[in-house]
Amino acid sequence: MSAGNSNWWSRFYARYGVSGPAALIMFVFFLLVPLLPGEFWTVVGTEILILGLLAMSFNLLYGYMGQISFGHAAFFGLGAYATAMLFTSLKTPAGAIEIPEFLLSLLVGPPVAALGALIVGFFCVRLTGIYFAMLSLAFGELLFYIVFSWYSFTKGDDGIQGLLPPHFFQDASNYYYLTLAIVVAALLLMWRITESPFGYIMRTLRDNQRRAAFLGINVRLHMLMNFVIAGAFAGLAGALWGPFSRSVSPGLLGWQESGIAVFMTLIGGAGAFIGPIIGSVIYTMLQAVVKMYTVYWPLTIGTIILLIVLFVPGGVLGLVEKQLKARQGRMHDAGNGTDET
Amino acid sequence: MAAILEVTGLHKHFGGVHVTRDVNFSMEEGEQSAIIGPNGAGKSTFMNLLTGYYRCDAGKAVFEGQDITNWPPHRIARMGISRAFQISSIFSKMTVAENVRSAVHAQMRRSFSIFGVAARIGVEETGRVLALCGLEGKRDLIAGELAQGDKKRLELAIALAGRPRLLFLDEPTAGMSIEEARSTMELVDRLNRELRLTVLFTEHDMGIVFNHARKLTLMHRGEIVVKGTPEEVRANEIAQKVYLGERNA
Amino acid sequence: MDIAPYALQLFSGLSRAMVLFLLSAGLSLIFGVMNILNFAHATLWLLSGYVTYSIFTVLSQQFGASPWMLLPAIVCTVALMSLFGFALERFLIRHTYTRELPEQLLLTFALVLILGDVIKLIWGVENRRINLGVKPMEMLDTLVNPYQFVIIGTGIGVAAGLWYFLHRTRFGKIVRAAVYSRSMVSALGIPIPLIYSGVFALGVGLAAFAGGVFLPLLPMSLGVDHDIIVQCFAVVVIGGFGSMFGTFVASIIVGVVYSFSILFWPDGALAMIFLILIAVLIWRPWGLFGTELRY
Repeated sequence: MSAGNSNWWSRFYARYGVSGPAALIMFVFFLLVPLLPGEFWTVVGTEILILGLLAMSFNLLYGYMGQISFGHAAFFGLGAYATAMLFTSLKTPAGAIEIPEFLLSLLVGPPVAALGALIVGFFCVRLTGIYFAMLSLAFGELLFYIVFSWYSFTKGDDGIQGLLPPHFFQDASNYYYLTLAIVVAALLLMWRITESPFGYIMRTLRDNQRRAAFLGINVRLHMLMNFVIAGAFAGLAGALWGPFSRSVSPGLLGWQESGIAVFMTLIGGAGAFIGPIIGSVIYTMLQAVVKMYTVYWPLTIGTIILLIVLFVPGGVLGLVEKQLKARQGRMHDAGNGTDET
Repeated sequence: MAAILEVTGLHKHFGGVHVTRDVNFSMEEGEQSAIIGPNGAGKSTFMNLLTGYYRCDAGKAVFEGQDITNWPPHRIARMGISRAFQISSIFSKMTVAENVRSAVHAQMRRSFSIFGVAARIGVEETGRVLALCGLEGKRDLIAGELAQGDKKRLELAIALAGRPRLLFLDEPTAGMSIEEARSTMELVDRLNRELRLTVLFTEHDMGIVFNHARKLTLMHRGEIVVKGTPEEVRANEIAQKVYLGERNA
Repeated sequence: MDIAPYALQLFSGLSRAMVLFLLSAGLSLIFGVMNILNFAHATLWLLSGYVTYSIFTVLSQQFGASPWMLLPAIVCTVALMSLFGFALERFLIRHTYTRELPEQLLLTFALVLILGDVIKLIWGVENRRINLGVKPMEMLDTLVNPYQFVIIGTGIGVAAGLWYFLHRTRFGKIVRAAVYSRSMVSALGIPIPLIYSGVFALGVGLAAFAGGVFLPLLPMSLGVDHDIIVQCFAVVVIGGFGSMFGTFVASIIVGVVYSFSILFWPDGALAMIFLILIAVLIWRPWGLFGTELRY
């Protein structure tokens, strides 16, 4: 290996960890997806991106702040409903919507979800651990039942139908590239946040809240801010979901939906920035393929999760990172003969 | 010399047990003193009260003319009061440099900055603190994987980030080798001498106490028994009975 | 005022409360002793219902149909499911004690998915219930299913038995001690792994019992476990982790509030439960009767 090459690689790796190369490779693949024959993989790709964004926003709470939320999908759902309602009121009686109005309806998702997160978070950040998980679950379920039973406002169980995007975006490839652009922009912003002083304060809260308080950190206020940021990103994912699936329904807010974000994060690896997206690729693609052959999708994914928990703790990226470290360690050993434990 | 810290009538009880009782205490700027006393004398509780971890039931604490009684920990910390814990309390999944850097950011009031780049803010101060504590060589190691003595040094480094004016150290040398303990206490002396940092520490090792504290406060059963120079405390009869006596017996 | 509808709702609320209690008691014990939040608890309950149904059907074919066949069917199910719980702890759950909370949750959630599909594979998608042919009883000018009283009675009986077990027997006292201090129990020379398997088996056994007893009242159908488990979480949190008495009181609160909400706001019955849960978590995160845990 040439020295220059090694330096370039090691600097890249030191700066971005395993997330850097993984993100680059994935980005290239994502650009090429619509070139595959048929619409199937383009549609799956869109789903991967949207749910991946949801999982990434969940990981702001879990991987960076150390709290597990079982109600995170509530903000996904709030964003989806906000967009769906504005969308419905902006479209013409014939059911068509112009591109500017369509984009405007997408924009309303994040702030509405952030507002919801502000209210829910105000209470949740007083607790940690299992109590945080329970309270977020309770709020999520409460919001779910409110949407479910408030028929006059939300159409209840029927959901809101007919969210047909403008003609240009009815083409699967075009909607895919729109989603890709928005998700990539969101992830860049998220990367920026996690590498900011605030992002590192989140990590101190994950590791040791008491210590952080004695450094002058207002623990609850910082947690609340992160909760709102995570809620806004979840809302953005929700905004993209409605026009993608042409409808929204209360199930988007339920705890099973939150569970999917948790799965993806743990499958991909919560320790790496890009982990949840990798988890979404694995989860969503598997689902798409398995569902072609069997109705027993829960059994399949359940078994996979079981195996991952038992044998691949730290997720797929965690495993890759461990392998890379072990290899570096061996090279190091060969170089100077020190021990690597 | 002006009093930097003035505590009057501090009182705390858990259930029926009085853990500190009517404590009056003051420190002058630039002072370096120690609190001693047997286990359960109320030393740690006293520090926890002054840094806002516990709420006191009665009494008043004034720091630099500002009443800080029962303020939450983060507000007290922002006033310039810092503390290091007996059992090292660090951010174990972050690197050594990140530990210190985040502490620096907190003191710079940049903790809410979401668009700044953490790696480019407070670099000098981080480097200064790491160098001060002899941790430059270990800056990229994961804090949780450090040796015990290094963890304690990192604990001190976190407490020093952002130039506090009053520093509480709870058993700063516990778990350290003799050599590590000596260099740590030399560092504390230097901070006190060169930066006029006011230091209050608790310590079990009487050798360290007599070598490094210019004033001693003896606590026993939640009360202050005697306060004075090491010689005065050594000479005090009650002190010999409740504490030194026990050690010699 | 006509009190009949209220009395009806009260009885159905109380019988619902008993099922919630039988499930939550196990959930709370397992959490207290092993710090595992078992998402699969209600799925094990559901599975038990189906198992009871099958045993009941076989027994009825062999020895002639009689409502009393339910008794041996329940006994067999409880025995089978306890064994299954024992094995589950030993071969799966045990590997996650040193892991972080989400990974533990994920493992038990994987069991929810797997067991749910196993039920679908074996019993298909139709609902299963047992018709005992009990005649409705006339009470307060209305008709009440007398089986509800059987459920309420057995529920209180099991609660009393559980109290006796935890407070008056040696194993029960060890279990209670383990909730407070694991190191103390192992210092006494009691094999902790056995306690863990035992408690898990006991919890699953209680759930299996609930599954069998409830069968004549409510049909077993796929997916109800998802609703029940979050209600059980609500019960355990409202009552306070580790407090059996708290779990009992919270079951009654949740059960009764649920059935009365159905009267006034049918779609929002579950929302009411989550409102109570939120109120408790904000006001007393450690629950009505729990002690503040370190977390």
